[in-house]
Amino acid sequence: MYAQFVKNTRHILTASAVCLGLLGNAQAQSAADQAVEAAKQYSGVTLNVLYEAGLQPLDPKNFTGPLWEELTGIKINVIESPVDQMFTKAMQDYRSGSGGYDLLNVIPNQLPDLALAGALEPLDDYVDKYNYHEELQGIAPVYRDNQMKVEGKIYALPDDGDVLILYYRRDLFDDSANQSAFQEKYGYPLAPPETWQQFSEIGQFMTDTYAPETYGAGLLRQPGNAQYMFQERFRVEGGKFFDPDSMSATVNSDIGIKVFTEMRAENSWMPPGVEQWGFIEAFNAFLAGDIAMTISWPPVGRWAAGYGKGTEALNWIPETKVADKVGYALPPGGTPELAVGFSLAVASGSANKEAAYLFAQWMNSEEISLQRVQLPYALRDPFRTSHFASEEYRSRWSNAGEYLDVLQKGAETGLLDLSLLQTDRYEEALRQAISRLWSGEDAKKILDDLAEDWDQLTKRIGVDKQKRVYADWASKPDAYP
Amino acid sequence: MLKTLLDNDRTFRYLLVAPAVFFILLIGLYPFIKLIIASFQNISLFDDIRSFQGLLNYERLLFDDRLWHSIVRTLLFTAVALPIELVLGYLLAVLFLEKIPFKAALISIILLPTIISPIVAGATWRLMLDQRFGPVNQIISWLAGTDVKLLWTVSASLVWPAILIAEVWQWTPFMFLLLYAALSNVDREQLEAAQIDGASWWMTFRRIVLPAIMPVMFIAVLIRALDLFRVFDLVWTMTQGGPGTATETLSIYAYQMAFREFEISYSAAIAFLVIFLLTVVVVAALRRVEVSR
Repeated sequence: MYAQFVKNTRHILTASAVCLGLLGNAQAQSAADQAVEAAKQYSGVTLNVLYEAGLQPLDPKNFTGPLWEELTGIKINVIESPVDQMFTKAMQDYRSGSGGYDLLNVIPNQLPDLALAGALEPLDDYVDKYNYHEELQGIAPVYRDNQMKVEGKIYALPDDGDVLILYYRRDLFDDSANQSAFQEKYGYPLAPPETWQQFSEIGQFMTDTYAPETYGAGLLRQPGNAQYMFQERFRVEGGKFFDPDSMSATVNSDIGIKVFTEMRAENSWMPPGVEQWGFIEAFNAFLAGDIAMTISWPPVGRWAAGYGKGTEALNWIPETKVADKVGYALPPGGTPELAVGFSLAVASGSANKEAAYLFAQWMNSEEISLQRVQLPYALRDPFRTSHFASEEYRSRWSNAGEYLDVLQKGAETGLLDLSLLQTDRYEEALRQAISRLWSGEDAKKILDDLAEDWDQLTKRIGVDKQKRVYADWASKPDAYP
Repeated sequence: MLKTLLDNDRTFRYLLVAPAVFFILLIGLYPFIKLIIASFQNISLFDDIRSFQGLLNYERLLFDDRLWHSIVRTLLFTAVALPIELVLGYLLAVLFLEKIPFKAALISIILLPTIISPIVAGATWRLMLDQRFGPVNQIISWLAGTDVKLLWTVSASLVWPAILIAEVWQWTPFMFLLLYAALSNVDREQLEAAQIDGASWWMTFRRIVLPAIMPVMFIAVLIRALDLFRVFDLVWTMTQGGPGTATETLSIYAYQMAFREFEISYSAAIAFLVIFLLTVVVVAALRRVEVSR
């Protein structure tokens, strides 16, 4: 099924490129076609592209890489790295001057650090030269406005619509016995939770009703993932990360303590051992029908619905038992975390900057990106307005339209990951705090230590410098609800 | 003059080894000198600053609680793991001195953990101890007759025992191997004479066995102590130093500073501290051996 899909797509795109080539300048070329035409001058070049290890590289390895080589003669060499080492590798490559990477996948909240260090090439001239402005406008505003520029310059092309969405078991929520029992107990109808209190009550209810076969929810608790859930929930509850005047950390406020305390309390009605759950564990459990709710990245919603079933690259995923029972909603609070995401950036040390940019423009274009976000194994999630509206995508499974609508809503209301100078160091301290939370330490003590760590970091980086960066980030409409 | 030099045996020998010595110094000394220079600078991956800042990094070492906690943790871990490995290794070695069937095959099997990379050993133990799928909890549940869900790599009270189990599992065979070799060479006639004279087990061990195996045992302990002091892979794959910094050893802290916090100069100062501490320990230990000889 997948092989046929790729084959057909290749034929269609190659045929399109040939036809457009024949038409010459009679019509304005699309951004994808312009990139292909211009890139032919670099035929024979090999581009080194840094990708997150795992499923992400299957796109350039199986689809875009071979297709690009067929169209332009440029070879794509994919270099994989664990996601938490991508920043280090990109920065080390730049500092060493080795020019090991041409194109980088950059996590947007690390974009300022990489750009200001000089590791990334400004792309404005390329965007002008290859008329990409118009198609850039088609990227959903929250990604376009926040994951592309640093100090007014374009450094990356937003390329992934990451957002944490609530997935729930529609059959359990719609069950009339559950409906009436829940209404009787809590005084409001059983529906996807809109607040964290509702989430806790619904989860407890489901666990009381169905455990151990099915628990109320299973969330991402591994610190690397859970930090995003904390960032979202803390802000949904009204928390602010810093005092904008003094730049002192305020993460240890009453709100922070409340969120930490509640997060830990919820574990009691989630499956035993949930403290160790990351992306894989949570989606496995949801697909197996072991949990009634989870909050995770968009691929979970697709795979739970059975999309991609039979694809070789996905044969490690357990067969979904909830294919026709998946509901999609925004998580409690209605402002989901735009956790991680990827933007395509050209390494400043690259010897093939223009070729790297052209590959990025081509992949990121309306035409090609729509194919990429529909690759069954893809971890690239819809990020263009046209992706959400695509009739082709909306017909992929029975409620794909509902799925895309929720993703689009998430893109409209989503919250940006905290982005400061040396963000990763702040995140590392938060990750450690969360691991202490699961080990049973006092929430207030953990958060006081976290605030102290953050203050020390800020002091080392420079209070005034960081204050300006934070003020800039906090002034964005998607920084706080 | 060259002829005179070459005619001198001693000079000729020096000339022959000079290139090798030069390359060893180049490979070993150059990074060390770079490390020392970096430790006096202010290098971070985030900017281009390379300015010298004197002893600031070393001053920071003195007041860095997280560093000292990691040193104490590392020392405690070494102090607990090393005797366990030594005693278990010795007991195994004594056992294998006896005639037992399939001895060679059994020794090969026992030695398997030592040839596994610590990263792989850590990952394996992480899976073994996994709360949901790991066999350890399943075996405990079976023995206890009730469902036991121990969070080995999450719970603050279980995480060190988990690491200790993995460490002892992997490196006791190393102790066993060296001690088995040493015990095999203990003079049988002396042991028989002691037995005839009616010496107790303890007297035989203290007066005959221990002196005989001491040089090998000392080297084995020294090698393991140095390895334990630098332990990284096993702990990293099992806990990444967590929960919080509960299992953060000195090497993990240095790694965090260099590759998570990007404080290259400060991590160079930490590395220098490690080299200094280990050198002091090794020199003192070797001197002790010399004296005892």
